[in-house]
Formats: sequence, C-alpha cells, structure tokens
Amino acid sequence: MALVTIAMGRLSQTFLLLLVMSLIGFIGVHSVGNPVFNIVNIETATAEDIRRATIALGLDQPVWRQYLLFIGNVVTGNFGTSYIYHLPAFGLVMSKLPATLELACIAMLVAAPSGIALGLLAGRRNRTFLDRTILKASVFALSVPSFWLSMMLILFGAILTGWFPSGGRGSTASMLGQEWSFLTWNGLWHLILPALALAIPNIALIARLARSGTIEVEQLDFTRFCRAKGLSPHRILFRHTLPNISVPIVTIIGLQFGGMLAFAVVVESIFAWPGVGKLLIDSIQLLDRPVVMATLTFISVAFVALNALVDLFYAVLDPRVRLSA
Amino acid sequence: MKAEIIRVLRRPPFGQALTLSKVVLAAYVLLALAAPAIAPQNPYDPLQIYGWEASSPPGTVGSGGFIYLLGTDGLGRDIVSSILYGLRISLFVSITSATVAALIGLTAGVSAAYFGKWVDVAIMRLVDLQLSLPTILIALIAIVTLGPGIDRIILALIIAQWATYARVVRGIALSETGKSYMDAAKLMRLPTSRIIFRHLLPNSIASAVTLIPIEIGHAVALEATLSFLGLGVPMDKPSLGSTVANGFQYLLTGQYWISLFPGLALFGLIASINLVGEDVRRRLDPRSRSI
Amino acid sequence: MTPETTHAPLLRVNNLSLRYLSASGPVTILHDVSFELGRGEILGIIGESGAGKSTLGNAIIDLLAPEFQRATGTIEFGGKAIDAADGKGSGGIRGRRISAIFQDHTASLDPLMSVGAQVEETVLATNSSLSKLQARTRTLELLARVGIPEPHKRHRNYPHQFSGGQRQRVVIAIALAGSPDIIVADEPTSALDATVQKQVLALLRNLVDETNISIVLVTHDMGVISEIADRVVVMRNGQIVEQDVTSTILDAPQNEYTRGLLAAVPRLRTSRTVSEREISKTSTTPFAERDREPPILVAKGVSKTFFAPGLQWGRLSGEAGFALQDVNIQIPRGAITGIVGESGSGKTTIGRIIAGLDTARAGWVKIGESDFDVSRNGRRTGLLGRVQMIFQDPAVSLNPRTTVGETLRESIRFGVSPVSGEEPPDMGAMMDRLGLARSLAGRHPHQLSGGQKQRVAIARALLARPQIVIADEPTSALDVSVQAEIVQLLKESVTERNISMIFISHDLALVQDLCSTIYIFRDGRVEDFGPSDFIFSHSQNPYTRSLIDARPRRFTH
Repeated sequence: MALVTIAMGRLSQTFLLLLVMSLIGFIGVHSVGNPVFNIVNIETATAEDIRRATIALGLDQPVWRQYLLFIGNVVTGNFGTSYIYHLPAFGLVMSKLPATLELACIAMLVAAPSGIALGLLAGRRNRTFLDRTILKASVFALSVPSFWLSMMLILFGAILTGWFPSGGRGSTASMLGQEWSFLTWNGLWHLILPALALAIPNIALIARLARSGTIEVEQLDFTRFCRAKGLSPHRILFRHTLPNISVPIVTIIGLQFGGMLAFAVVVESIFAWPGVGKLLIDSIQLLDRPVVMATLTFISVAFVALNALVDLFYAVLDPRVRLSA
Repeated sequence: MKAEIIRVLRRPPFGQALTLSKVVLAAYVLLALAAPAIAPQNPYDPLQIYGWEASSPPGTVGSGGFIYLLGTDGLGRDIVSSILYGLRISLFVSITSATVAALIGLTAGVSAAYFGKWVDVAIMRLVDLQLSLPTILIALIAIVTLGPGIDRIILALIIAQWATYARVVRGIALSETGKSYMDAAKLMRLPTSRIIFRHLLPNSIASAVTLIPIEIGHAVALEATLSFLGLGVPMDKPSLGSTVANGFQYLLTGQYWISLFPGLALFGLIASINLVGEDVRRRLDPRSRSI
Repeated sequence: MTPETTHAPLLRVNNLSLRYLSASGPVTILHDVSFELGRGEILGIIGESGAGKSTLGNAIIDLLAPEFQRATGTIEFGGKAIDAADGKGSGGIRGRRISAIFQDHTASLDPLMSVGAQVEETVLATNSSLSKLQARTRTLELLARVGIPEPHKRHRNYPHQFSGGQRQRVVIAIALAGSPDIIVADEPTSALDATVQKQVLALLRNLVDETNISIVLVTHDMGVISEIADRVVVMRNGQIVEQDVTSTILDAPQNEYTRGLLAAVPRLRTSRTVSEREISKTSTTPFAERDREPPILVAKGVSKTFFAPGLQWGRLSGEAGFALQDVNIQIPRGAITGIVGESGSGKTTIGRIIAGLDTARAGWVKIGESDFDVSRNGRRTGLLGRVQMIFQDPAVSLNPRTTVGETLRESIRFGVSPVSGEEPPDMGAMMDRLGLARSLAGRHPHQLSGGQKQRVAIARALLARPQIVIADEPTSALDVSVQAEIVQLLKESVTERNISMIFISHDLALVQDLCSTIYIFRDGRVEDFGPSDFIFSHSQNPYTRSLIDARPRRFTH
C-alpha cells in the first residue's frame, strides 16, 4: 500500500521535473541562435526566403505558443523534423539509442561487480596496505577527466600498441530489429575502450561507497552482536553487511547508469561512437533544435525512470519501507 | 611490537601522497600566478608565434631563441607556455565559481533550514531536481542556454554546483536547528537576524567551507570537459581543457605531445586538489561520510 | 541464591589490567581487576561513566577493539584461561559458552532480516549438528521462552515491527540460542521505560533461576542492581572499590564512594512514610487550598496531532494520531510542578508548547492576565520568551562557538524585563551563586564538564528574569552524583527568586522530592494529577500505581 503511494508520489514529482526540464531546455535552445540560417544560405537568401523558412519552422509564433505547441507534440511523441537530417527527431534519437545502451550496459556490467568487490575488500581490511592502495587508486581514477581518460586509452590502447581500434562501432549484428555491436567479435573489440572509459570512474565511485558503507555497518552494534553470538565472519559479511550496504549501492548504480548517458556525450564524441551523446553534441553545434530537444527530453525521461526504479528497489531491499503500515 | 603495528595501522591513509599533493598544489598556484613572468612565450600574442614551427616535437629549438621543452601545438604555440597560461584560466574560473556557488548554497541552505515550510519546499525541490541530474548535463544545458564566454562558463558552473552546497548546508543547519541551543536563542526572543548570524550560520558554515576545495576540483574538470566539447572558454584564450582538445586531432596522427602534456598537467591539478580537499573535509568535518 | 563456594567458579578474572593505545599514548582503562562468577549467579558491575565497566564486559566476551592491550592478568573460564594475549583463541567460547546482550535493542538487530532468521542462524552457528527443522523448532521455543506472544506467527516479522521491550526480548532469545553458561548484559534495560524494564529484569532473574546460567550485569543504575543482582562489584576509574553480596553493599557499604552512590539515588516514599498530618495539610481534595491564590499559568484544552514521518520523502504525511489530547494543567505560583510520563507520553511536547517553541493544533495558555492562542506561532502571539527552559542534554544546549560569557550576556541583554527601571542582573553574582568560577566566562562549552554546562544553562535561563522556568529532564544526561547537585540548585533557585517551575521527568522519585504538584501523562493525556504526596500515597489510578510498582523496591519506602 505504502509502496503504491510512494510510486505515485514519485511519478507526480517526475511530471513536474519533466515540465521544468523541457521549459529550461526549450528556452535555452531558443536563445542560442536563429536556426533559420541552417536552412537558408545567409549570403544569398532574400528577406522573402527567410520569411518563408521562418513560417515553415513555426518560428514566427510567440515563444510561449511555440512552447505549448512543443509540449503538445512531446505528449504525442512528435518532436518535429531535424533541420539537418530531415528525419523525425525522436526517431533519430531512438535509432542512436542501441549504440549508447550497449555501451552503458557493458560499462556497468564491468563497473558494478568490480567496484563492489574492491570496496568490500578495502572495507573489511580497513586501514591496511590493501585498503590504502584501493583508496588512493580511486582518488586518482576520479581525478581523471573523462575526456582525457578516453584520449589516453586511445593513445595507449590503440595508437601506440595497436591492440584496439581507436573509434567507430565496428561490425554489428541484428537483434530485435536493431543493430548491436556486442554480437560480433569485431564489434565487441570496438566496444572495449569506450566501455572502459565509462567504467573506470564508476568502479572508483562504487568501490568508495561500498568501502565506507562496509566500515560504517561493521561499526554498528548489530555486527558486534553478530560476532558476540558466534557467527562466522563469512556469514556476517554476506548475510548482514552486504544487504545493509546494498541500498546506497543500488542508488549509486541506478544514478550512475543515468550519469553514463550524460558522460556518453564526451566518450562517444571521442571514440566516434554513433550514439545519443554524439548526436546531442553534433546537434548543439549545428543548432538542430528539434534533435536537441528530443535528446534532452529523452535523457531526462531515462533519468526519471531510473530514479523511480531505484526507489521501488528500496522497498524490495528494505522491509522497513516494504512493511510500514 | 603490537603497539607499533597499531600505530602504523592508524596512520591516515594518504601520508606521503598528501604531503606531495600539498607541495604540488602550491607549485601549481605559484606557477599560475607567475605565468607571464616565467613563460617563455605569450601564447596570446600572434607576433611571438611562428606558424611554420607548428607541431614541433619536444626538444625542438625554436625561432624565439628558446627550446620547446614539450613541443608546440598545431598553431605553433609553445606547449609549456600554453599550459602555464591555461592554468591561470582554469584556476580563475574554478575558484571563482566554486566560491560564489558556496555563498549561494550557504544562503539557500541556511534559509531553507531556518524558515522551513514553503521556503524549504521551494528551495529543496529545485535542489532535488538539479541533483537528480548529472552535473555535466546541467552545465551542458546552462552553457547551451547562456552562450560562450568566460563569464558565461563561470555562471554555468555556479548554476551546476550551488545545489550541492545547498543540500549539504541544509542538512547540517537542520540538525543544528534541532539542537536546544537554538531553542534557547528563540526563547530569548533574539531578532531573527541575530539567531541566524550569531547562532545558526557559525555552526553551519564549516560544512560549506569544507566542500569548497573538492568542488574546485570538480569545477576544473567540468570546465575542462565543456571546453573540450567546444562549449567552454573561447579558443583564442584556451584553458587547460581547450589546450587538450586542440591536440586531440593530432593524437590520431601520432603527435601525442600536444594533448598528453596539458592533460597530465590537468590530471595533476585535479588529483592534488582532490587529495587536499578530502583531507580538509576529513579534518574539519568528521560527520561527513567519505564518498 | 547464594553462589556455590565449594566448586571452582565458572568465570574468574585475575588481576586484569587493560591499556588503551590512544594517539597521545597508552591510557590505563582497567587496573588490577579481580573477581569471580559462580554458576547460577547474577553479578552486577556498577559504576559511573568512565569507570571502565563496559570495557570489562567487552573483555569478557572478547570484543575489544585492537587498540586495547592487556597489560597483566587472565580471564579463566571453567578453570581454563581463555583468550591468550595474542587476541585469538576464543573460538568456540564466544556465542556458545559466553554470549552477550547490549543496551541498544534497535541497533543490536539486523533491520533487514526477520527476527526468526536471526535467532535461527545463531542456533545453527552454535550447534551445527541440528537440522533446519530442528533449528526452527528451537527458534520458536526460544521466542516463546522470552515471552514473545504467538512466536509461530511473529518469527517472520522484522525488528521494526516489535516494541522496544519485545526487541530486547528477541535479543535475549538470541543470547540464549547457544545455551551459554554466561551472558554478559551491558546496560540491558537502560533504553527501556520503567514498567518494561521491570518485566525484562524479571525475565532475566527467571532465566537464571530456571536454567542455572550466570549473568554479568553491567549497569550504572543502583535500582537495577538492587532488583536482581546476587553480588555487586563497584567500579570507579578502572578499579574495583568494593565487592560483596548485594544486601551488604546496599545496607552496609564499606567504601565512601559506594555510600555516595547510594545516597545519590532518589528514593520514593509511599503512603506508609508520609505522615497523615502532612497529607491533610496539602490535600484532601486536590487544589482546595491553592484555589485561593490564582495559578501563574493555566493551559486549557491543548491538543496536538503528530504526523507520520512520510516514509522517505516527507510527502506521505497525514495526521496519524494525537501527541496531546485536550490537556489541561495549572501551575501554582512559587512552586515546582512535576510532569511525569514514559517516553511518548507527550510530556516534552506540552513543555515546548507552553514555552511557545512548538505550535499546537488547538488550545490556550494563560500566563498571569494574558491569554495566548497556542495554535498560532509563539513569536507572533508573544508567548515565546515568557517562559525560559533548561534542556535535557547539556552537550547541545549551548552554542559550541560562543563563550560562556557571551551566552550569559546575551541572556541579560535580550531577556524579558518585567519591571521597568529594574537593575539588570549581575552575571558574576549569578555564576558565583550557581557554583561556576568566574574564570569560566571565557571558556567554550567543549571545555566544560557536563555538570558545568548544565549550570551555565540554568544561569542563562535565570538571567533572562523569567517568571516561569521549564526544566525538561535536566539531570538525566548526568552522572548520579552530579544529578543531586543540580536538583538542589534548581530547588534553591525557585525559593530564592520566587519563580515557578515545571519539572519534566520520567523519574518518580525525583519529582516527589522536588514538586508540590504532579501531573502524570500517558499517551498524550493527563492520566492522573494532584498534590505530590497525595499522588504517591493515595492515588487509586491503576496506571499511577503501576508506575510506582515499577520502581525498585529497595529504593521505595
């Protein structure tokens, strides 16, 4: 019962969040520059050409009406047509989605288990050499800006050694009507460097969180009590410590998965990975407004969905939320 | 024997690394301040740059009469000089934005905690909204909205960062408001301004101050990322991030030095700020969890 | 009840000295401690904070942090030394032979595991030969044994679905799971209300009498000791000052310190010790005499609803119940009025509403001739500032960043001045009166002891020249010996300054000594009220009687 209420509350907040997001994004993109000049040639266009293009794009309407029109279109899934590609903007974003999704999923599949394992290890061996090493490595990993990390991966993984390709998606195979790189050896080969670039900061983040959670839980009375009642350290770790630190870890995994969609902007640009992030940067630079709006809206929806999912997961993990009546 | 082991075990985790990073950080700041005096070349002055010496490898003797220790970039600018001047811009942008963001966050957080009710709801909904999205995305949206320029990027960073301070300060201020010395102050019928400035603020300010170094580190990275994406500081006065970006296209053709060395400088800067920042937080605010 | 003396003792601690390796060098925590524990015996270890009693308990269950180092001594279990100095070797002893109960029942249980599973894993960990089914049966037996109703249903529930007393019973069940010989119980009832504490202590006594296990009972509370301990070890600053059979310690203590501890325990007088003359003087009908002089404060029809904390996000809140329901009280002039109740009774809430710190849902407070609507903001109605408060925890009642002098001067400057032209009070004189050296004015709170901080808080309240002072559990965070001094100061302040005081407490004996009138709160209502002596000797209210009965008999006359 409480769970339903929570979910409903989250959804209403979601709605507000999306509205504000879209408004900010809309005003933002609106003020960047006149997109008409992407359609017509500035040098040769007559006033009449510009006027016609403006009407064609709906840019002659007042801003608030453009926004209302936009909101109406969003609800119906219609973001308009890309000025550059002359394709429906939303369809364009969706067509780039599989590339980004497989990148983020592979990166998280690497980051979550290794981060948790390193964090537990460091937390259990608090203040030892191993702990300090893991902690130091995590500080450095979090200090590397992701674009430079990507470039160094290219430098050392591709240019100097030639082990991996420096960019692109490689060959793909079809599944569920979409093209996927991870289904072919060549594609998987192309995935490794960009996935590492996304995974490394997250390994560090998850490891630090798991470490501090482990230390915190192990100081609690009930772990002391577990030792007093004669449980083996192994059982305490896996049946008591791990479930108790899982709530913050699940949160961070959920949020960072969304964060990867954002950081994909950087990593995809560098690795020439044709995903949503690269599309966003390209569209910003080309003032392709419908595509920017569609991308930003999509990323926020993905975020909100992840947030809601994480909240529901709390209830599964924590009986205090699940059973509060 | 056992006492000795325990003393070793209890040593703070970053003994030498911390000392080293303090020295490195101090060196960075000094270099940035002294850049015009010590840089062999002014990379903003076209008269000092020789286009035909573009992409010279490290060690080349240049026409300016000095050795290009780390080589030159695609336009013929000395990398050492570009790093020194870029450092100035990166530090200026990040310190300014982190400090202003701290002030705004402090005000917002303390107000939300003290006044409660709709003030709290309004401020914290905005904060929640912002913090549920990655900072890079907020900064991206802000910079797309605001347009290019150093002042704009500072503003974008402030917009991206104030919420972090606000949430932390509000949490601390809220727990302080719940303590009975605040009740005692209310019972004296002290003016609201006195309660806030004499009692609440002095006890909440540490939480914001301790965040500043870490947030400066974040700001450096954010600014560099935005500049790398071509959305940051203008290309004629490049920061460390844009200097790295300039070298990206040459990386693929093997001219690694153009982006490698500025990138190393950037990494060293962020790492030393982060280490010192963590230490400041650990010392000043034992309540904070180390994440 | 007398321990067997013929056999070797179950547990023997010989000349144990422990050091704590702090950053500034080793500190001696325990010094040359020796005692024995017989089978079927409850041994109380009593002391104030810093006595080393909890460290001693942890040493017995071998849960000391690695910073603790044994300097000398041994701990023998059944004639054999356990836990050699290298720190391992307790294998098989812990959990199976010696188990533990901690103070905080909430923190002792894993919030994410059902209580049945937590008992069961202990059963299996201490007896690996049992099958899953046998372990389940044993779990249900244990839960039933400690008094959990319907164990076959409730074993599936999680800790947060039990009350505090039931949680502590579950903890006891877990401690019993390995059929241990010894249970080390560290303040097992300190987090519980008096009535629940009584039941849990009875359960422990009962277990000892039936199963012949032994308990090491670590506590600061003489009352707990007097209720169930067979023998007592009195500790101070890491040393044993005295040990003997409980009755000897209570009736004929040899040591000065023990005598001081005993004298500081508030005692409750019931009907038989109150002279009939005294009763008839104050009260055959409550308030009969005081009707002549109007009360200084009247609270009428005060109600407050509390909100269920909205699970995680504060948005699900709805009115969940009454924190206060139609409360009416009268505070007589120039006297101390007690408000007594267990946790959750609303006693603190009514104090905060009267002071204007909290807003009620409905109700009026009348001070002198002025009426205040307490459903409105206290700062706006002017109620805030009419009453001063002394708070429970001195650690958080002073601004950590201002000096004592600044705090007190602020009170003089901003406190209400009832009569114009009156001399402002003198800070130095007030500090002298409350036993605070004037040199302390330049100190910050963290440089003061708990008792000193509480004196500063009293000075702050009095310097604001209030007519009414509310003291909310002002002594419960302090050691027993300091408690008595603070209580005495409060009593003197009321008579010397002709102020009126509301004294909020959970401790019946304390309010009896101090207060002329007593209100007993229960679940947000006034359950019983009347002149103090009448309440304790003649009240027919069953709840009041149960509170009185929950007091340790030894300290009730």
